Amino acid sequence: MKRRNFIKTAGAAATIPMVLNGMNLSAAPMSALFSGIDPYSDKVLVIIRLSGGYDGLNVVLALDQYSNLSKLRANILIPEAKALKISTETGLHPAMTGFHQLFQDGKLSVVHSVGYPNQNRSHFRSTDIWQSGSSASEYVNTGWVGRYFEEDHPRYPEGYPNGGFPDPFAITLGSTVSETCQGTVGNFSLTLTDPFNFGKLTQGKETLFPGTPYGQELSFLRTSISQTNQYADVITAASKKGKTLATYPTSNLATQLKNVALLMSGGLKTRVYVANLGGFDTHANQVDSSDTTRGTQRELLFQLSEAIKAFQDDIRQLGLEERVMGMTFSEFGRQIKSNFSLGTDHGTAAPLFVFGSCVNKQILGKNPEIPATIPDQTGVPMQIDFRDVYGSLLQDWFGVSETEIKDYLFSNYTHLPIVKNCAIATDTEDFTFEETSVKVYPNPFHEVSRITFRLNASAWTRVSVFDNIGSELQVLISQQMGAGDHQVEFAGRDLPAGIYFCRIQVGREVQTMRLVKI
Amino acid sequence: MDRRATLSTLLGRSHVAKAQPIVESFQPPVLGLTPYSGAFGFEQAAHLLRRATFGAKYAEIKAAAAKGLNATLDDLFKDIKLPDPPLNYDYATDPSVPVGSTWINAPYVRDTSTGALLHQNYRNTSLRSWTYENILNEGISIREQLTLFWHNHFGVGDNQDPKFWYQHITLLRTYAWGNFKELIKKINVDPLMLRFLNGNQNTVNAPNENYGREVLELFTIGKGPLAGPGDYTNYTEQDIREVARALTGWRDQGYNTVDANTKVGSFFRISSHDTKTKKLSHRFDNREITNGFDKEHETVVDIIFSKSEVARFICRKLYRWFVYYEISADVEQNVIRPMADILIQNNYEIKPALRALLQSEHFFDALNIGPMIKNPLDFSINFIKQIGWSALNAADLANRHRAFNTLFREVGNQQMVYFDPPDVAGWKAYYQEPAFYRIWVNSTTLQARMRLTDRMATNNYTVGVRTGLNVLEFANSLPTPTDPYLLIEDMVSVLLPQSLTEQQMTDLMNAFLSGTPDYEWSTIWTNYTKNPGNNTARSSAETKLRNLVKAILSLPEYFLS
Repeated sequence: MKRRNFIKTAGAAATIPMVLNGMNLSAAPMSALFSGIDPYSDKVLVIIRLSGGYDGLNVVLALDQYSNLSKLRANILIPEAKALKISTETGLHPAMTGFHQLFQDGKLSVVHSVGYPNQNRSHFRSTDIWQSGSSASEYVNTGWVGRYFEEDHPRYPEGYPNGGFPDPFAITLGSTVSETCQGTVGNFSLTLTDPFNFGKLTQGKETLFPGTPYGQELSFLRTSISQTNQYADVITAASKKGKTLATYPTSNLATQLKNVALLMSGGLKTRVYVANLGGFDTHANQVDSSDTTRGTQRELLFQLSEAIKAFQDDIRQLGLEERVMGMTFSEFGRQIKSNFSLGTDHGTAAPLFVFGSCVNKQILGKNPEIPATIPDQTGVPMQIDFRDVYGSLLQDWFGVSETEIKDYLFSNYTHLPIVKNCAIATDTEDFTFEETSVKVYPNPFHEVSRITFRLNASAWTRVSVFDNIGSELQVLISQQMGAGDHQVEFAGRDLPAGIYFCRIQVGREVQTMRLVKI
Repeated sequence: MDRRATLSTLLGRSHVAKAQPIVESFQPPVLGLTPYSGAFGFEQAAHLLRRATFGAKYAEIKAAAAKGLNATLDDLFKDIKLPDPPLNYDYATDPSVPVGSTWINAPYVRDTSTGALLHQNYRNTSLRSWTYENILNEGISIREQLTLFWHNHFGVGDNQDPKFWYQHITLLRTYAWGNFKELIKKINVDPLMLRFLNGNQNTVNAPNENYGREVLELFTIGKGPLAGPGDYTNYTEQDIREVARALTGWRDQGYNTVDANTKVGSFFRISSHDTKTKKLSHRFDNREITNGFDKEHETVVDIIFSKSEVARFICRKLYRWFVYYEISADVEQNVIRPMADILIQNNYEIKPALRALLQSEHFFDALNIGPMIKNPLDFSINFIKQIGWSALNAADLANRHRAFNTLFREVGNQQMVYFDPPDVAGWKAYYQEPAFYRIWVNSTTLQARMRLTDRMATNNYTVGVRTGLNVLEFANSLPTPTDPYLLIEDMVSVLLPQSLTEQQMTDLMNAFLSGTPDYEWSTIWTNYTKNPGNNTARSSAETKLRNLVKAILSLPEYFLS
């Protein structure tokens, strides 16, 4: 337990006036000071995995790029007039009226072009990377949320649940545990399909186990069965006590989220829920041939948007709104050019959404810049590293210190202003970067191009160059840089002619410039 | 908490993460690959058959013990003919395949108005139930376990043409314990694999490295530690590229075809083949591959297999499938290395090396009896084969296959779907550190497993009608069914890997007899055997046996092999 977070969290939570089932929740963290109950246990993160790799360009519509988009993906492009605008140059897919409303209510944040360097376009490997929170070159067996829980519960699952922690740390809605919650020994998430039908298992009696592999596996099985049974009790109790007030649509995701609201309102202290919506791998028939606003993707986005809207309405009516934050992710985005089957193939970065009453209403990052002509297989260049999103949520939502977050994520991260006032207080950086100061010359270039930019204060800076499929070819700068003008050379003489992207990140500001090698 | 140690574990740098021991572990020296010289009794025979098959009955275990280890291994590796192909069991509307005939060479039909491909779903269903039929009727043979082993090894998934699948799975079954090197040569150009890893898009002008990467990383030599940029100790990124180039030019044919004359297969197109010389890295002694047209992919395999790491790599996978997940330095030295030597001496024939493993002191080491958490298929098939299931006695072929398909779904609920491993690396339980086999177990799969055994034991498993385990026949197959204690002991010896404590035996006696005296069971059983046609006598014995079987199968010990 980290003393500093402990105090910070307890203090912040005490300011939240909220009543649930007659119990003032703000009292809970304070009493935790004396009972040993996890003091920051009232914040909940809902992670929604959109599996298959979704076509972000058709979700968050870059209206200022339509002249080129209409050349590259005419057969699937959503008509500009149908876009649900969230700014003058950005819109949402017309099926996402729920999200549009949430944005207007200040409960939705759009984060552009999230990904990681050296994008792996394999579903399983990229999902592993997103769930483990590692870089593309590292193979890590634990999940980013699992490592977070493990810091304070290193012996889990042995001895859990217990009096201090009677509830599951995390719940995966579905029948496979999420790798996001994998710890070194156990997985911190309980799988749950139906909270009303969570059966008790025959447990049998404890026996003495010899110190053999057989004994160890038997002990693991008994622990799992006994843990399932004990969690069955708290889940059954919470689902009986809990309620939902909003009307949910009939869909798989809506049912998953309804269960989250039910269990939360029933008093379950689970911290992380992982929900899943699959089917985004739209190589073919992403849209209908007669109407691009219909088709597979439309149905999925409609389900996503309606389910989250209903969930948000529910937790507002239940008085739980300020305790819940949600985020979506998909293992990758898809290629800019559509294919001839009314679909799209595996690509690179994609936007993600963060929702809840404590998000900053905003669009983080910019519309991706779409060139008029691009090589086949070009994906959307990454603007924001996914670990920046994880790190910012851990920091602002769960009140984890920067040092620990770096341990969990195995890397530096850039703080993004995703969470607003109801969060635990964090420092905000001074504005340090003049985006207009970025110049790339010569461009197009033959051998060497120079990148110049100005900082008006010292800041952590990363300048790197990507190719069109999202591979980070060269990292030119990755360090703390002083105030003033900076220049760095990009030597691309050995590279084949084509399009490259220079990504400049200063603090939380990102600028992506297109580079053309001739 | 030792931060550095934890981090290195988190980063996967420690070789094998240890499970938390309950009491202090003792570490006796590892018994090696020397042939087992101890007694081969019921317990050893049961262990061997539990690992090498999907479950053996009491009489089969007894017979194996009487024959001895060598003769039992002869049986397990005996050449048997391939199963007859899957049939159209009950689908009346495929114009080219009447019910009762096979579909493996029959064309599809396209719907004239929508263009949709017709008559594929029933073939997928047929393929699945046929696979389960083969498993349930495997006899004393290691072939079905090895077929699944290779399916896991190559990890082909996705919904594909069932005719391609039939060819692929038949290849795996044919090579079950055959020549590993030859199998890879066949897999290189297997039509399903060409589609799965984009070999069919790998051409001189647009090389696709997908298969080239996996054949090195997952199928043959394995990825070693990162030794330098793009250098994975056993091979480099350059080798991936060059291997991919050498494999250019192959295409599959017959996918989803509506043409009766187009057979499933693959072919080589010279114009798509890269004829330039390929240069391998120092990891392959800078070898060069000159143009070999359609034989070039075989040269690639010969070069890869000239490295002894290939043998060690596949031996580790066989070890994790048949023995245990943890490979200590000791096991590597005393089991994997000598096994790999045998494999190389026999030019990559699997049988001698695997047979040596199953015949070794190490395999029969008491420490290796019981610590494997069964995968969902082993879990679900073992008890059904050992006890018997009434639905499998259905006279009607279509009804039997309906039963196989419900089982297929049950095993899927437990997160193992034949023909659909989660990814090309196979099921996570066989490679994902640190949890390995434990990945099979979570609150949902636990419930799915126990729901199946409960409903089967209590005759509440519905396949059109209520069905359940043949508990009366099971009891009757055991030597002393009149004695409740011996009856339980014998059931346990068949169903569980190790004997139970006295306390557990007492609990089972209570579950069985609910406190009534022992002699009452003797009376009930004798009464039934004298009047098997009498419903009252029958059900009175059956009810008690169902309670007993249910109690045994719900023990966590049953999860173990």
